[in-house]
Amino acid sequence: MTDNANISKAPSVALIGLASCFGCQINITNVEAHLMEVLGQIDMRHWQLTSSEPMPEDIDVAVIEGAVTTEEAERVVRQLRERAAAVMTIGACAATAGIPGMAAPHYYARQQDVYGDAVPAIVSDIAYKPRPVRDIVEVDYEVPCCPIDPYDFVAVLQRALYGSNVYRRTSTLCGECKRNEQGCFYGRETLCLGLVTRSGCGARCPNLGRPCNGCAGVSPDANVDAARRAAERSNISVASFDKALEMFNTL
Amino acid sequence: MLYRVIDASELPGLIEAFLRDYEVIAPVRKGMSYAFEPVEDFSSIELDYPTTLTSLKKYYLPPRETLFRFDAREGMLAPYELTVRPRVLFGAHACDINAINNLNLAFDDARYPDPYYDAHKRANMIVGISCSPSSTCFCHLLESDEARSGYDLFLTDIGGRYFVSIGSVEAANILEAACNPREATDEDRRAFRASTRRRQEAFDEDIPDVQEIPMLMDAFHSDAFWAELGGRCLSCTACSAVCPTCYCFDIVDVLDPSGETGSRDRVWDACTSPQFALVTGGHNFREDGRERVRHRMYHKLNGFNANHGRYLCVGCGRCVRACKADISPIEVLRFFSEKGAEDAC
Repeated sequence: MTDNANISKAPSVALIGLASCFGCQINITNVEAHLMEVLGQIDMRHWQLTSSEPMPEDIDVAVIEGAVTTEEAERVVRQLRERAAAVMTIGACAATAGIPGMAAPHYYARQQDVYGDAVPAIVSDIAYKPRPVRDIVEVDYEVPCCPIDPYDFVAVLQRALYGSNVYRRTSTLCGECKRNEQGCFYGRETLCLGLVTRSGCGARCPNLGRPCNGCAGVSPDANVDAARRAAERSNISVASFDKALEMFNTL
Repeated sequence: MLYRVIDASELPGLIEAFLRDYEVIAPVRKGMSYAFEPVEDFSSIELDYPTTLTSLKKYYLPPRETLFRFDAREGMLAPYELTVRPRVLFGAHACDINAINNLNLAFDDARYPDPYYDAHKRANMIVGISCSPSSTCFCHLLESDEARSGYDLFLTDIGGRYFVSIGSVEAANILEAACNPREATDEDRRAFRASTRRRQEAFDEDIPDVQEIPMLMDAFHSDAFWAELGGRCLSCTACSAVCPTCYCFDIVDVLDPSGETGSRDRVWDACTSPQFALVTGGHNFREDGRERVRHRMYHKLNGFNANHGRYLCVGCGRCVRACKADISPIEVLRFFSEKGAEDAC
């Protein structure tokens, strides 16, 4: 059996970047020593950063980075969903609209605030309110955070390729944070979004002395009202709690 | 039980003796709090710590532990191997020793032997130390304020010297070699009595002493209180991460980046995690915070009693500090206490 025959049997993967800093794509290469091992398990058919070939017709796993901010991006996402057996998002921008999503509230009103009645065609024709990928199509797998952890990417890719018995929890972050034994920011009257942010990252920012800024996304089981009350008990206003959430999460 | 007295000035020598043959785990300063960590010398140990962020559970049931490695291509398992360097868990409070006793009850089950837990347990020597209760302590209400068994040595501070209760030959030999333990005098015994009395009187009386807790748990199983308490749960699982007696775990297979080999790991789980009681087919036996928080409190204050005749909760107060939604067994005791007051009207 030749090498080519091997490659043709490997699952095909396409990697597309939408509105984002492309940092998550770059971060994939940070598996460094393992990069060739990972690429050896797939047929990397299309990678926007490394080739200008047209998108292939038939894809096993479509990997999408970035928020959907234009009609063209929406078309690309729909096309990927049609062509790919599985759709996987990487990073906060794709999962929650992330940083581009900060512009989402009152998006169309703001165009008028800036341009008045004369919104230029280039703006009104192509730009639209930033949305996460799952608002457009069904998403099968998600690698959260800003940026993604490269090993987390490999684990989720392998989950798509081979399956996994690891059930991804919706618990929020504090339980993981306690294992690091760094104390709680709320005891120091400091805002931290771990109370509502989905766990899985190991609370690495709090472990490095920085409060969680919610890049893993608000958990579907988050109790935001109870978290707001907890913030108030630590002399943190609800307004500042909500404002901090806006960076990665539009509630 | 054998008792001896040593001077406080002899304690560094005891630690030095342990350090020669054991890894020594002891309470150290950690930011604004304290944590059990490996120490290299006596001076880094905080003897007067109020409590620690997490408990000694991690030295019995690590947050993540590889059970075995496998080769996915060959379908082969590497033989199980776990060697734990003998260690001394120094400075355990009575509640934490009782917590370890409870973990032992849960894991010492002849039907389901657990060689991993057992390897940790066999490696651990426990040296307890007396404490003064802090505002979140309620061990005395749950029969865990005294360590009656489960330690190798227990040191009670009686002012400039320690009343040492000796629980094992191994520890007695080290104590004998490192210090000059002497027979207790009448004065030592009086000092010991005074010390234990001072401690008894130092507990926060605002935490209600409730009788028949397990029965009350059953009697008020459907009370609206549980919806109020559970309704504010953040689903963060901080409670079980800091709890010295939460021992539930999940088992996961983790592939290496190559996809060819990997490990089967045991990781901490928590009944306050929304997916804890989710089963195949999609049914979740405890779908909301009310059911999950109530379940956790039942195991701590009712269910374990039914099987083992003692509370699983030891009243260490760590969850009282960790829960930002103010959910804790103290809230349950307050509820029962208020119910009692209503009925008396």
